[in-house]
Amino acid sequence: MSVQQDVRPSLQTEGLSKAFGGVQAVNGATVTFHEGKVNALIGPNGSGKSTFFNIVTGMIAPDSGTVRFRGQDITRRAPHRICAAGIGRSFQLCRTFPRMTVLENLLVAVRPTGLGQLVGSSQNRRQVERARELLRRVGIDHLEGSLAQDISYGQQKLLELAGVLMGEPDTILLDEPAGGVNPALIGRIGTLVKELNAEGRTFIIVEHNMDMVMSLSDHIVVFDRGAPIAEGTPSEVQQDPRVLEAYLGV
Amino acid sequence: MPNASDLATPTPTAPDTGRPDDSAGERFDRRLGLAKAGLGVVAIVLALMVPWLAPDAFILSVAVVIASYAAFAVGWNFVGGFTGYISLGHASYSGLGGYAVALLTTHTGINPWVALVLGAVVVALLAVPIGIASLRVRGASFVIVSIALVLILLLVFQSWASVTGGSEGLRVPRPFDSSVLRPEQHTRFYFLFLVLIGIALVVWWLIDRSQFGAGLKAIREDEDKAEALGVPTFRYKLVVFVISAFFTSLAGGLYALWFGNLDPVFQFSILTGSYMVLMSLFGGIRSLVGPVVGAVVVGYAMEVFKAQYGDSQFHLVALGLLLAVVVLFMPEGVVPEVLGLVHRLRPAATSIREESAAQLLERNRAIDAERRAQTEATSEREPVEDPRHATTGKGRS
Repeated sequence: MSVQQDVRPSLQTEGLSKAFGGVQAVNGATVTFHEGKVNALIGPNGSGKSTFFNIVTGMIAPDSGTVRFRGQDITRRAPHRICAAGIGRSFQLCRTFPRMTVLENLLVAVRPTGLGQLVGSSQNRRQVERARELLRRVGIDHLEGSLAQDISYGQQKLLELAGVLMGEPDTILLDEPAGGVNPALIGRIGTLVKELNAEGRTFIIVEHNMDMVMSLSDHIVVFDRGAPIAEGTPSEVQQDPRVLEAYLGV
Repeated sequence: MPNASDLATPTPTAPDTGRPDDSAGERFDRRLGLAKAGLGVVAIVLALMVPWLAPDAFILSVAVVIASYAAFAVGWNFVGGFTGYISLGHASYSGLGGYAVALLTTHTGINPWVALVLGAVVVALLAVPIGIASLRVRGASFVIVSIALVLILLLVFQSWASVTGGSEGLRVPRPFDSSVLRPEQHTRFYFLFLVLIGIALVVWWLIDRSQFGAGLKAIREDEDKAEALGVPTFRYKLVVFVISAFFTSLAGGLYALWFGNLDPVFQFSILTGSYMVLMSLFGGIRSLVGPVVGAVVVGYAMEVFKAQYGDSQFHLVALGLLLAVVVLFMPEGVVPEVLGLVHRLRPAATSIREESAAQLLERNRAIDAERRAQTEATSEREPVEDPRHATTGKGRS
């Protein structure tokens, strides 16, 4: 594994483990993702990537190990508190609020700052404008009045990303953003990631589309059997024999 | 090929959103709004006139029963409608509310109306630990927990006869003096139930339009997703659960004051909770007036069945069939289904279009050009902040 001295840690895990019955989904994973970079987490199917995501975002409690975000221990915190700490996430199977409109989907992510805002109208003008701007940015502003269940899967992917951005996260975890979407949309998502990263946001992306991973990522972590087996820049990872063995069995 | 940069460009003026005929749609919305308001006024006037339209005291008492069903259903719908958590055990709170009023007035001698509110506050406080325990589970597990609670309360109130009267029943002191005869009492309670329903609907509407309500509806749609977006789901569920228990308890207390006698078998009956669910589902749990409409239709049908077939269980069979029909053919409930049919007549307001790459590029180039022109025009007057950074910039650093 390559050693990089000049990186600031964003999300770090140490000895993270989780078993489901007899299956050790995550097995003592110690990983550091880099602040301000596009990080990728890759690995064969069943290597524990999504479980790892679910643990660090609080959806699943680990059996052991710690999760730190910018040095702060966030292990076993509730997902909404992890979100409030500055981590936003998307899901492997795109999840929206199907019977709410596209605009309402975004307004859910508004975090009330006090009781007044909590009991005040959800259609707060400033927040609505912000939501519209984000919809415009991802290219689905013309759908703001449509129910989320009525728009295409690709548009739902963009809606999910806009919803994550509405929460103003510093670090964004995307679980297979290119899964099930057409090549043009993959390009659009990739460009969005680059732009948002240029604005200072850190990305951690689980993805099987290697073209996307290699073109976007600054730092790649390769998982196999619930633990990292290699990490480094795209070119380093591509030449690592352990990665080839994990993927191709050679 | 257009990229996200092309898409990212904000514009000071809204771009063409592809709405083909907004004015026709807006006209339709205005007319529909007027029609709804007119219908609402007619319904309110009719509801207010019921005591004078009722031919005799029996029919008036049926109106009180239906009004109580509506109050129960609206109370239930705080938790059922907003969060989608289906409680079959809400009779727990109506029953506790009834007993709270009876015991407070009997043992402390306080004014029955004060006892009504005090009892509901006590039940709401009891709902906090109950909610903390039961809201940890979802779906069928939550339904079973809610049923378990009502069965436990039934056993406790039957067995603790020294306090509750057990199966002998518990008499509830009349809130009005003996000069107020039965028909007049029905009228008064009927209006009291209307006031309670009105207050509950206003609270429901306030929650519905609030940020709190948006979080609750997100829980109903996808709780994990809502949590991941920062909604403190457990806290939200607990608050609305307590509000629901409070209003259901008020309705139960009012019913106890009207009926005058409490028996645990009827107060803590799973059937009572099932009625609340059925009425709300029938009318539409996501709609403000759905539970009221459901209570009027289902409540009236039940009373007709009881009048026609006496104390048989036939009305339960009919209720079961009705529930099956609603779930199969109108899963959203009558009110949303009817509104959906009306909305089909609306001129298309929002076209769902898949923009081609070329269209997107063209649109965003036009927006870019317009923005550049505006920037140039204003640059000499004042510095322009990039709106993209203003709106999507990070809140924390």
